[in-house]
Amino acid sequence: MNNSLLEIKDLRAGIEGKEILKGVDLSIGRGQVHAIMGPNGAGKSTLSAVLTGRPDYKVTEGSIEYDGRNLLEMTPEERSWAGIFLSFQYPVEIPGVSITNFMKTAINARRKAQGLPEMKPAEFLKLLKEKMAFVQMKGEFAKREVNVGFSGGEKKRNEIFQMAMLEPTLGILDETDSGLDVDALKIVADGVNSLRSPERSFIIITHYQKLLEYIRPDVVHVLKEGRIVRTGGPELADRIWQEGFDGIDG
Amino acid sequence: MARKVFMIGRDEIPASVSLGAGEKLDWTLVCLPGTSAVVDLAISLDGPGAELDLAGLYLCPGSENVRMNVSVCHNSGGCISHQLFKGIVGGTARAEFDGLIYVARDAQKTKAYQQSHSILLSAGAWAESKPQLEIYADDVECSHGATTGFLGENELFYMRSRGIPEKDARRLQIISFLSPVLERLPEELRDDIISEC
Repeated sequence: MNNSLLEIKDLRAGIEGKEILKGVDLSIGRGQVHAIMGPNGAGKSTLSAVLTGRPDYKVTEGSIEYDGRNLLEMTPEERSWAGIFLSFQYPVEIPGVSITNFMKTAINARRKAQGLPEMKPAEFLKLLKEKMAFVQMKGEFAKREVNVGFSGGEKKRNEIFQMAMLEPTLGILDETDSGLDVDALKIVADGVNSLRSPERSFIIITHYQKLLEYIRPDVVHVLKEGRIVRTGGPELADRIWQEGFDGIDG
Repeated sequence: MARKVFMIGRDEIPASVSLGAGEKLDWTLVCLPGTSAVVDLAISLDGPGAELDLAGLYLCPGSENVRMNVSVCHNSGGCISHQLFKGIVGGTARAEFDGLIYVARDAQKTKAYQQSHSILLSAGAWAESKPQLEIYADDVECSHGATTGFLGENELFYMRSRGIPEKDARRLQIISFLSPVLERLPEELRDDIISEC
């Protein structure tokens, strides 16, 4: 087994004819946590959109290899089945669909794609309860409509809950820390930390270094104007905190 | 009164119904794919404490033309009416809901609610909700809501990113949208409708 999980080479991509990523190279090893930092408009969210196959984003050049497969040929659902999970910056409300129904549908869709039978209801319920406790969600949470009427903190905890349910191989957190108070930030960080394993990698996209105090990354990248201009260890995040992005150049 | 389900185009629906004191009516109107029809229904709440629970569901995926004209008249005080209509309109189908709530001057302590929502599945489909309130009493609680829209692309992508295939995601959205009306139907009919979605 190759030790690299994700290989991005010279990736150029954008939306509505506007190029946002202008040649990104990134290699992520199994079990590693990479942080991607950068100012607004650097292309951080475009990167997460391209990795998860958002239909309105177009890749114009370059390649992405995930677990030995050509990621760009896979649909969003195929990427999920292959173990990619995105914690959305703006989680979407789905009126009329309960968390339970949503997760049951998601888990059984993946099992079907893998040729497995549906999960038994008792087994599913046990998993649901276990993962709810993981993000400190109470009983009635499972019956609520997905993200409808959730506070900002609840939405982000719901993302981490879903991540724990789906047990991805590559978890991508897109600005999961934005708008969170310290308590919610700690719940999110504890959740991610307890999911860390030698087989599971993470990309933490963030604006601030705060989350990285709780989730220590192995590698920090600075994304600016569509390119990775600097790569370093966790100390790079601390330096950005002190000097700002302006002090960091390629 | 027991719950009653009418299949539009097959069952005869009374054009007008009067509810006396304390009488209750619980009706659901169902319009299945392939049915074009005009439904005229006038229900009056004529005695104190009468209650109406009316729902409707119309599935028009092809070239159907469905019109529902529903009027609910509160002629007596202390009555309650609930109306909930949901439609799925695709292809080149047309669906229209005209809903009148009338509250007479003496019908104090009236509670009247009406919701009418439809989802368009294609650019060629057309749906309209026309709620109308005529209220002459002053101590009443009335509300209405009407929406027409497409299935959201953001919702779709969110579901797909969790591994739910596009087709299943759209179906889940439609079933969820219809669920408050589906819940009122006998299991067999409900399962038939769900398998049509």
